[in-house]
Amino acid sequence: MTVRKSRHRRAATALAASAVGLALAISGCSAGGSGSGSGKTTITFSYLWTGNEAAALQQIVADFNKSQSQITVDAVSNPDQTKQLSSMASMNGSFDVSDSYGSNVGSWASKGILEPLGGYGIDTSDFIPSVLAQDEYQGKLYAIPIATQEYKLLYNKTLFAQAGITSPPTTMDEFAQDIAKTTKTTAGGTITQLGLGTSSAYDLLSTLAYVFGGQWDTDGKPSPTNAGNIAAMNWYKTNVLDKYGASNIAKFESGYGEYMTAQDPFYTGKIAMTLDGEWQSANIAKTAPNLKWGVADIPAASPALANATQTYSSMFFIPVNSKHKQAAATFLKYLTGPQAMLSFTKAIGNLPARTSLLDAKAYNSLPGFDVWLQGLKSKNLFAFAPSTYATQYQADLTTAFSDFVLGTQSAQAAMASVGQKAASYGQ
Amino acid sequence: MASDVSAAGSRRTARHERRALWKGLAFASPFLLGFVVFIAYPMVASGYYSFTDFNLFQSPTWVGLANYRHMFSDSTFWQALWNTLFMTAVGVPLTIIIGLAGAHVLNFPIKGQPIYRALVYVPVIVPIVVGSYLWRWMLNSQYGYVDRLLQLLGLPQPAWLTEPAWGKPAILLIALWTIGSTLLIYLAAIRDVPQELYEAAQLDGAGSWRRFVNITWPRLTPVTLFQIIVVMISYLQIFTQPYLLTQANAVGNGAAASGGAGNSMLSLSMYLFENAFSFLKMGYASAMAWVLFVLTLLITLILLWSSKLWVHYDNND
Repeated sequence: MTVRKSRHRRAATALAASAVGLALAISGCSAGGSGSGSGKTTITFSYLWTGNEAAALQQIVADFNKSQSQITVDAVSNPDQTKQLSSMASMNGSFDVSDSYGSNVGSWASKGILEPLGGYGIDTSDFIPSVLAQDEYQGKLYAIPIATQEYKLLYNKTLFAQAGITSPPTTMDEFAQDIAKTTKTTAGGTITQLGLGTSSAYDLLSTLAYVFGGQWDTDGKPSPTNAGNIAAMNWYKTNVLDKYGASNIAKFESGYGEYMTAQDPFYTGKIAMTLDGEWQSANIAKTAPNLKWGVADIPAASPALANATQTYSSMFFIPVNSKHKQAAATFLKYLTGPQAMLSFTKAIGNLPARTSLLDAKAYNSLPGFDVWLQGLKSKNLFAFAPSTYATQYQADLTTAFSDFVLGTQSAQAAMASVGQKAASYGQ
Repeated sequence: MASDVSAAGSRRTARHERRALWKGLAFASPFLLGFVVFIAYPMVASGYYSFTDFNLFQSPTWVGLANYRHMFSDSTFWQALWNTLFMTAVGVPLTIIIGLAGAHVLNFPIKGQPIYRALVYVPVIVPIVVGSYLWRWMLNSQYGYVDRLLQLLGLPQPAWLTEPAWGKPAILLIALWTIGSTLLIYLAAIRDVPQELYEAAQLDGAGSWRRFVNITWPRLTPVTLFQIIVVMISYLQIFTQPYLLTQANAVGNGAAASGGAGNSMLSLSMYLFENAFSFLKMGYASAMAWVLFVLTLLITLILLWSSKLWVHYDNND
């Protein structure tokens, strides 16, 4: 009898152990979600931003929740894009609204994971057309832009004064001359100061292409070998790479501090000019307050291309697996409305995506910001087309630009190699 | 009657064995369940996906061997494979040689020996992300200490992170910084060698090199085989160090992280990750994962086969 009891006890223990194992496994697979409770619909807003950007968004969400009797927004900062994708891949998503870059719209929309926004009564008349176009795919709107990023020419006023330059360049010839005047090398060719530099060859060369009339997409297909793109790269080769030596430049760049920290090469005066975005205004004020800098339009290769530059956008979207799309759309309208957009973009030092905000006085406290704001009125704003291949294309361009600036490939050969890879994007 | 008793006995034994089997399975069920859900199923699924066009969101479409065929013409894949094999071929011998030499140094009976042993292990407990960011600074040619040290020694100071030729050495340097585990395993193995063998050899007039070749090394070969396999797998799967060293500076225009100057630091795992989660080519990424798996398996089998020639076990069974 004792033996039997003991056996039963052991069997019970074994059962309990397996039950615990099963429970643990099942609990590991369960997921939270949004839902309705106490009459209000609760939606989840998951965003990739952290730090100051997250704090600014939390304030907007708090204001929305205060103004609402029907919807409660539960906002969470989740900077893991892999998690964002895996949530969108499941039947029951973990969020109703999230953010990304316009460059993802084509790829995601083509895979059916973004909710088309045409039927939600969102008024898009105030949005900058070229920015809004980044959130459209095959004629349908899939996301709403919240902020725009735009490249301009940033210059160090102290280094300009030392070189006897009184104003930023307005033509490509002046640009080339100013690069020469502000570049310093030792007798052995070692660079101690570079006239035109960057922390990202991709940003510099992909933007420079537009001021030479280049295009990265033509008729919905990658066009890396476009004549303007090649002309821009050759201009950079003639005026920077060939003049100072690709390996000397690589050596000089290896001493760059981290981008946007106090050791950023533009902040420390290692480079006199760079092509960079409006976020530098707020960041320089905070990180390098003593830097004397200015911002101007990038010189263009022809008058017709005046103010030509590259833009991209940050956007909000509703995943197709959201259970509360109508409530999510209501929140999306608020989130991208003039008031919320103004407070968010000002807080993070990004440009608004609405034309009505381009003359807003609230941005006056940001040094040089008006140059970027007015730049958004230009007809020569360009961006990568929202396509299924955008991310892979940009990655291949990054590699090709790297080969080009290292001097291992000519402009034509580097872009031809991208063209070859682009042929298999659909595979 | 005797056969009845015998039959009843064997039935009881069979029942007992079945019960024991079920109990064992019940106790092992948490592991078995975890194995099936988190290892076996994903492996089988990735094997299937490797023959499909799959983007995570839509149903996979069968494409046969297209993903594997595409690998042959994908120059970035070959570059990533070359980078990975290069780091493995150089990193594994270096890890073994430095680990073995370091273990001997740490075995010297000197004052403060436990402190030195603890110190070599400290980098292992530093989170790999923190360590990699730290090395990004250390390898900076203006602010970093590595080039400063080389300058003091009158040696050339390479541009570690911007010149393609120095990208892989930079990754190896970071990987070797965390050599503490290998070193301590060797130290334990060295201390396990019976002292009387050395005493006998010394009596026979054997010098220190001969004692190492004839006593220490043969006794360390089983541990060395284990270390080579473990280190080789970690190099073939290397991801975090090159990924963090090459992270794009751009604030976020959607461009995927590059593989450093001229893709010199792009490892196979990085390219696999990029295809899976940036380009959403899960089928192609699965095919790459299988290539990496088969490659790892092949090298491991070759090592195990070769061990018959150079690994010495105490019992010669």
